[in-house]
Amino acid sequence: MDLHSVITLSVMLLQQMCVYLAVAYALSRTKLFIPLTRATIRWPHRLACYVIFTAFCIMGTLLGFPVVSGNAIANTPAIGAVLGGLLGGPIVGLAVGVTGGIHRYFLGGSFGLAAALDIVMQGLAGGFTHRYLIRRGKTRLLFSPLLAGGLTFISILLEMGIDLALSRPLPQALHIVALIVLPELIANTAGAAVFVKILLDRRDSLEQHSRAFSAKALEIAAHVDGVLRDGFDQENSMRVARIIYDQTGVGAVAITDCHKILAFIGIGADHHLPGTPITSPHTLQAIANNEVFFADGNEIPYECSLSPHCRLGSSLVIPLIGEEKQVIGTVKLYEPKTRIFSTINRTLGEGIAKLLSNQILAGRYERQKSLLLQSELKLLHAQINPHFLFNTLNTIIAVTHDDVPQARALLTDLAVYLRKNLKRPTEDVQLSDEIEHIDAYLRIQLARFGDRLSVEFDIPQPLLNVRLPAFTLQPLVENAIKHGTAQMIRPSRIRISASQDAHSVLLVVEDNAGLYDANGGGGLGMNIVDRRIKNRYGESFGLTMSCESNVVTRATVRIPLEAAS
Amino acid sequence: MITALIVDDEVYARQALRRALEPAKDIHVLDECGNALEALVRIRADKPDVVFLDIQMPQITGLEMLSMLDPKHMPSIVFLTAHDEYAVSAFEKNAFDYLLKPVTADRLELTLERLRQRMTHQDFSVLPETNHLRQIPCFSLQSIVFLKLDQVEYIESRASGVYVIDTLGREHLTSLRLNVLQQRTPLMRCHRQYLVNVDQVAKLQYPDSGTAEFVTHGGRILPISRRLLPEIKEQLGIV
Repeated sequence: MDLHSVITLSVMLLQQMCVYLAVAYALSRTKLFIPLTRATIRWPHRLACYVIFTAFCIMGTLLGFPVVSGNAIANTPAIGAVLGGLLGGPIVGLAVGVTGGIHRYFLGGSFGLAAALDIVMQGLAGGFTHRYLIRRGKTRLLFSPLLAGGLTFISILLEMGIDLALSRPLPQALHIVALIVLPELIANTAGAAVFVKILLDRRDSLEQHSRAFSAKALEIAAHVDGVLRDGFDQENSMRVARIIYDQTGVGAVAITDCHKILAFIGIGADHHLPGTPITSPHTLQAIANNEVFFADGNEIPYECSLSPHCRLGSSLVIPLIGEEKQVIGTVKLYEPKTRIFSTINRTLGEGIAKLLSNQILAGRYERQKSLLLQSELKLLHAQINPHFLFNTLNTIIAVTHDDVPQARALLTDLAVYLRKNLKRPTEDVQLSDEIEHIDAYLRIQLARFGDRLSVEFDIPQPLLNVRLPAFTLQPLVENAIKHGTAQMIRPSRIRISASQDAHSVLLVVEDNAGLYDANGGGGLGMNIVDRRIKNRYGESFGLTMSCESNVVTRATVRIPLEAAS
Repeated sequence: MITALIVDDEVYARQALRRALEPAKDIHVLDECGNALEALVRIRADKPDVVFLDIQMPQITGLEMLSMLDPKHMPSIVFLTAHDEYAVSAFEKNAFDYLLKPVTADRLELTLERLRQRMTHQDFSVLPETNHLRQIPCFSLQSIVFLKLDQVEYIESRASGVYVIDTLGREHLTSLRLNVLQQRTPLMRCHRQYLVNVDQVAKLQYPDSGTAEFVTHGGRILPISRRLLPEIKEQLGIV
């Protein structure tokens, strides 16, 4: 054995290792390697791990150099076996080792059996190291190039021991080991370390990509939240375009409706003017066909439709979708001719368009809902209960007969009631105004029901100035008469009171009938009172009903104190 | 002379109608009632020819009150309402008389003319509200108790009147006759003198050959008449 041949063999083996690693690097760019970038637990991943590292193990064997008339091979199957075990666990390690070992055995030579067992041993060494590290919670170490190199180094030394123990004749075995030990140690150790490093790099680049992506997406989502709910107009579009421009770093951002530019920020803002009609054929096409249009400026040329001197070189047009999948506008991202359009921004652009579409829809829905509420209310109050009106007239006719002043007073009350009923339901009124309305109504009812009804007001003077939506108490009092007094044979009592606590004003209408049916719902009027207050002041305010059967029905309206002052 | 009763829960409404009726010398208003309970008592006692009956009244509406009257001794009814589109269209359809409040003199005269001619028999069973009793009015010393049907164990007709026995074993005298109660409630006729709430029956037993009786959850024994037994067994699903 001479030093020269050892060095020659080392260099040759290192060269082969380069080929080996080049294959590994190339494969690492494919999706095949993604399962290898994390410690594998799930079986599909383990299977992938087995297949890939078995392939590398066999490749390592085949790329070797036969020495001493083919009795042994200076080669690198150890990397595949050790890494298979290290990343896939003992079972994968064993499987890789057995498959690689069988392959090696059939290549023959006096080292054949020993070399086959070496590979199995190396797979297991990797596998048990995997298990040890997992149990210790040191998963990160699995991807340490140093550990992979070191483990491979040790397993090569073990391999040499096995070779010497099993191969005969001994002098030949000694000769072979002396020849291959150094080359194999160098090539395998370096190879394993670099292989793991390749995996690590691959993982980092994957993570960086997605980290950058999610950071941008979250940032944009947080900033544009709610802006377009208030309306899809120039002002709000400008705010959203500014956010997208800042966060994505693209050359320019535009937002259009179906006819004109609503916002434009970035390169070319001097001639792409908000308020002007859309001229770009790409945008018109995207709107007409409801499709994303991407002109990368290379395969699909992009030319600014406004100015030949425009520096913009590529454009992405994404439609915004409204009700019934109709296009209601577009979001456009541009890059200048000097930059390429990144795929991140392309994907982000589509996500942003979805986000904005949803916001616009939600905003329209909310506005329609409140319009509906207003019209329901109008309907409710335009309609004075005819039963009440005719009964009142009937009462007044009877009273006229022997109590003219009272008849006159009742007619005045009716006039006040009717006039107050003409208030616009959208306006705010003072509590005193609402009480006047109720008072006129109740004086008429007192005449109708005679001694069957008594009424009590308990409103502290300062609270009379509280402001509240018109028609908040009135429907509650009408309800107390209709479902309370009118249903009672024994004397009925209605009490209207107001009080305040730390944060809110409480207005209470109660009757002593206790006939409220919680399951029957409150009827349209009650629902509207509740929804209107909740819409305006939030869910913690509104109307609550409580009832003690045959004793009391209590309607409590809670409004915020600050709204009152 | 036509005797009349005015039933309306509003005092001025009663007054207005009474005044409107004053010029008609052949109409004699016997009394006014403020609710259906009082009216049930007065109708039983005074047997008026005509009842001016408000529909919207507390606890028992005018229509429900009709279901509590014996159809054999039904007075003529003139309904009163201030506004009730649904009821008015039902009255129109069935040619029942009604007055809209405030009442006009012309319209009232038309009604009185019809009353004087003693028009045809009115069958209120076409109005759904008059077919089903939700509760049975029972008279006690100072008041009327309304028993819900699920409180009733059985009803017995005795020489002194019809008695409703509730699930607590208390007896209540009612003015309704047994066959009216049978028609307007789901109670089952098991004997010439008895109606039983089937939900309260615990056991059907045969003390002697050929005779049968019910035992209620309250432990009371009700006879079953031989004639009705086959029908009852069929209804209870006993073959």
